[in-house]
Amino acid sequence: MINLLMGEFKRTWIQFLRYPAEVIGGVIIITSVFYGLFISAQYMAGPAIAFGDRLDAIVVGYVLWTLVIFIVNDVATNLQLEAQTGTLEQVFLSPFGASRVFLARAIASLGLRLTLILTILLIIMGITGSRIQFPLALVLPLVTLLLAAYGLAFVMGACALIFKRVQQVLGIFQFALLFLLAAPTEDWRGPARAFANGLPMIPSTGLLRDLMARGAGLDWGQMGVAIANGLLYFALGMVVFGWAERQAKRRGTLGGY
Amino acid sequence: MNRPVPDPDIALEAHQLCKAYGRGRRRFVAVREVSLTIRAGQVLAFLGPNGAGKTTTIKMIGGLIRPDRGWVKLAGLDPHRQPMALRQVGAVLEGNRNLYWRLTPPENLEYFGALRQVPRRLARQRGQVLLEQFGLLEKQRTPVQKLSRGMQQKLAIAVALVHQPKLLLLDEPTLGLDVEASETVKALVRDIAASGCAILLTTHQLAVAEALSDRVAIIRQGQIVAEQPTQALIQQFSDSAYQIRFAGLLSDGQRDAIAALGATVTENRIRYAGSPTSLYTLLSLLKPLPLLEVSQHRADLTDVFLQLVRQPSPPEPSTPTPKPDD
Repeated sequence: MINLLMGEFKRTWIQFLRYPAEVIGGVIIITSVFYGLFISAQYMAGPAIAFGDRLDAIVVGYVLWTLVIFIVNDVATNLQLEAQTGTLEQVFLSPFGASRVFLARAIASLGLRLTLILTILLIIMGITGSRIQFPLALVLPLVTLLLAAYGLAFVMGACALIFKRVQQVLGIFQFALLFLLAAPTEDWRGPARAFANGLPMIPSTGLLRDLMARGAGLDWGQMGVAIANGLLYFALGMVVFGWAERQAKRRGTLGGY
Repeated sequence: MNRPVPDPDIALEAHQLCKAYGRGRRRFVAVREVSLTIRAGQVLAFLGPNGAGKTTTIKMIGGLIRPDRGWVKLAGLDPHRQPMALRQVGAVLEGNRNLYWRLTPPENLEYFGALRQVPRRLARQRGQVLLEQFGLLEKQRTPVQKLSRGMQQKLAIAVALVHQPKLLLLDEPTLGLDVEASETVKALVRDIAASGCAILLTTHQLAVAEALSDRVAIIRQGQIVAEQPTQALIQQFSDSAYQIRFAGLLSDGQRDAIAALGATVTENRIRYAGSPTSLYTLLSLLKPLPLLEVSQHRADLTDVFLQLVRQPSPPEPSTPTPKPDD
């Protein structure tokens, strides 16, 4: 499996280094969109208003949203692209099995994704004056966030295997993700909070906002909820993807797009 | 309980594979009880018209389509239940690029080696050997998208061999290639088979199949209608009739005498299915006309194929509907 992971790392980086324009273009567009939103909000609020830690919370939410969009689209986009270019069936001929190959790809592309997202974050902090903190403890909720995000990525990948063209669904799903990541659900109380804890990634994003924007310490109780949430959605994604692979093989539709 | 020991010489055993698509009135049986066996070093040409079930069968063998009934064994392992079985198979599938176009040939070989559980260093070493064998060493630094179609096809075959499989599935390997590239691929297929790898080859170019295959299986409407050693099948469809070509005109008397021997005359040709000794009687009847050619009819694979696929259809259990991608 390490051998495969190294192979995937090499393939991902070679393709990025050889064709960097599309990735760098993505960074510029994402940063510009946020800057546009920031200017609009500043115009509405008036020049005298200081956003304070609310700006930091919004920056964290937006950057996480961007990261999660990268990840959630990763498996489905990869599947569609491979089907169109005619390499998908070669991937399914691997004795590792498709789930493990796509998981290795996801991990391999994560390094690249995190580097890009950090670049976007630094640019946004530079242009908005936001002062986000980076305590070491943020690694834990980040990992649980990534687990849940990859779970959703495999669910979307399963949709791509069954329904083939899922571009529109992915587009609409981005707005659902915006709600999941940008809404300050950590301020909710009672049944609404319990409901929010069951939604994918929400416990992790709340913890990340507390740590990075509000300077709070890690709430270990909520961290337990975030771990359970991440593991649950990751397991769900793998199970659904395995089911979709079996269905596609039964219907004989693996390579056809 | 004693389990049967798999014969190490058998690379592929497919037993009574069946596959149907759709439900109810749209149900279409693509493959019915197809059985195939290929031994190490053998080339089996798997022939059939479009939509006959070749691609579905190949994909069932490669574990890409699950059969409704029947089973597949690759060197004794079932690819639908034992993922390790896939280490025994390499495939170049028609209509697919089979390669990453942004990577160079050695990068493709290393990556696909890792995908097939070959340690990366070993994959690099084997990759160099394959690139040399396939005449691609000079293109080491060229991304695949800039290679010619023939080179891409050679590289796709090399990539399918990097994990040293016991069975190679080649779906239309010479399709779209020019004459020279096609000859190179044919020579490579012979070399691969000579090294002990079993090959299942599908092609519509029957001359390629005839030149390369040890055995032929012909599939029509999902069913195998013939499976034999290539030369035996051709022999079976070749009759003992003689073709005689001559110049000039036959007199009425000559025509009557020739017809009395059971031969048929068409313009300047005579077809005669009698014994070799009475052939001399017929030849003497042609005196003094010049003889241009005397030959015995020998079928080729095209004759065999056309005769088999044009035979009346067997009774259908369900109404077939053409499946576009098969």
